[in-house]
Amino acid sequence: MRKLNNEEQNIFELLRGVIDPELMVNIIDLGLVYDIRHKPADEKIEIEITLTSPGCPMGDVIMEDAKQLIENHFRNFKVEILLVWEPAWNKEMLSEAGKKALGSI
Amino acid sequence: MQQIASQNAPSANIVIPHFAFGSLAWLTATLFIALSPDAFTTHYFNPKLLAITHLLVLGWISMIIFGALYQLIPVILDAKLFSEKLAIFSFFTLAAGVTLLCFSFWNFMLGGTLHLSATLIISAILGFTFNIFKTAKISKNISIERDFILTSTLWLLFTVLSGFVFALNLKYAFLKPEHLKLLRIHAHTGLAGWFLQLIIGVGSRLLPMFMVAHNLNKKKLQIAYYCINVGLLLSISAFFLNTIIDMIIVAILLITGVFYFVYYLKDAYTKRVKKNFDTGMKQSVLSFASLLLACIISLLLLFYTHESHSPRLAIAYGSLIIIGFISSLILGQTFKTLPFIIWLKVYKKLIGKIKMPLPKELYSEKLLTIQLYLFFAGFFFLLLGIILSHHIVITIAGTLLFISALLYTINTFKIILHKPHSYEKTK
Repeated sequence: MRKLNNEEQNIFELLRGVIDPELMVNIIDLGLVYDIRHKPADEKIEIEITLTSPGCPMGDVIMEDAKQLIENHFRNFKVEILLVWEPAWNKEMLSEAGKKALGSI
Repeated sequence: MQQIASQNAPSANIVIPHFAFGSLAWLTATLFIALSPDAFTTHYFNPKLLAITHLLVLGWISMIIFGALYQLIPVILDAKLFSEKLAIFSFFTLAAGVTLLCFSFWNFMLGGTLHLSATLIISAILGFTFNIFKTAKISKNISIERDFILTSTLWLLFTVLSGFVFALNLKYAFLKPEHLKLLRIHAHTGLAGWFLQLIIGVGSRLLPMFMVAHNLNKKKLQIAYYCINVGLLLSISAFFLNTIIDMIIVAILLITGVFYFVYYLKDAYTKRVKKNFDTGMKQSVLSFASLLLACIISLLLLFYTHESHSPRLAIAYGSLIIIGFISSLILGQTFKTLPFIIWLKVYKKLIGKIKMPLPKELYSEKLLTIQLYLFFAGFFFLLLGIILSHHIVITIAGTLLFISALLYTINTFKIILHKPHSYEKTK
């Protein structure tokens, strides 16, 4: 992920509150968040998210949860969640904490 | 942008009745096992075993599969279910048909009630098959999983139609081949054509997803697909030609198909990111041991024929597939699917507004663990009772399975009847 500014870093930390209900790991440690763009001029926040699998039955729950969470903290901003599939998610995107939670290390 | 599966999910009200009826059918079947040990110690073509078997394969297994498939179709085919009304029609006709069928078999009533139940079941399956094929037609997703699902529904249709013909033959005896041979075709097209292929189609998508395994070689599934279907087609001619060579080729093809599916899952298991398995997944993994044991017994049945031992081995073989493999798989996978279905139904519109439990908090993990141990103890005693032909051992087995089924039913209804309990603002 590109270097985030302070506000984007705050959003990044807030997104640790969004848990994948099947894997029970937050989406930051799963490496599902690809980019965060905080645009004060447009009063807009864009978050690029992927899923571990296109068939993930909880996909829109994760996205809605992320949207609601950030909207509640940035009330004057329009939050847009962009679902992306490139690059495809793989286990290298897991953080150390994510790997530990899934029993990979 | 590619759609995600949950956007195509059907109404939970279509899925829930299938799980409710299925769990009660499983509970009833285990009660019948406990009360009728004699069904497992005489020749397998007896009224009580016919009733128990059909309650298991149609009332329990197929019912749950129908419900689960309506939910999983969006995941596998990337399309919305063609008709929810047709799904409701299939549910009611199947539920009525199975109840009447088991009543007819139990009392060995081979006339009008048996034919009416068969007509209801055929109507249910026709509705289901039409619904699945129309959904597949909408789908742009061409995959081996799709081929497995579509082919399995055709074998299901063949199985119930052949069952109807055999039911008529019981009364009017118009078919030339002896009845037990026809029964074997009916049973194998049902077990390998419908259940096994459906499980491969759904399992090869879901199990790697639950394990978070990527980059799997689907060629193994293609080999499994052709082996199983060529084997089944050959089995129909083999039963009529009745040569041992044909039967051996059929057995080798079917076992090779199973082997490649298990090989595919082993690949997923090796590459899995999620190393920690929950109780539901543990039960699913253990169920495959039964499938492998059933494959070994099927070979034994081919080469070893003994007047007294063979029928017992045949009952053990059927029990390994129906209870040890398929039922066990469903018992585990119910808790990987149903909590999510209900969770989405109850909480989807409340995301971010209230404190929500996790899907796994909708059921009791403790009950699930006890259910798992009781199931395996009960199943072990059932196999032992069948092999020893011992009524008391089978009664113990039935009782353990019944308590396990009771815990399963309590947990299932705990999930189904879940209501949001907290409306506190959390975020």
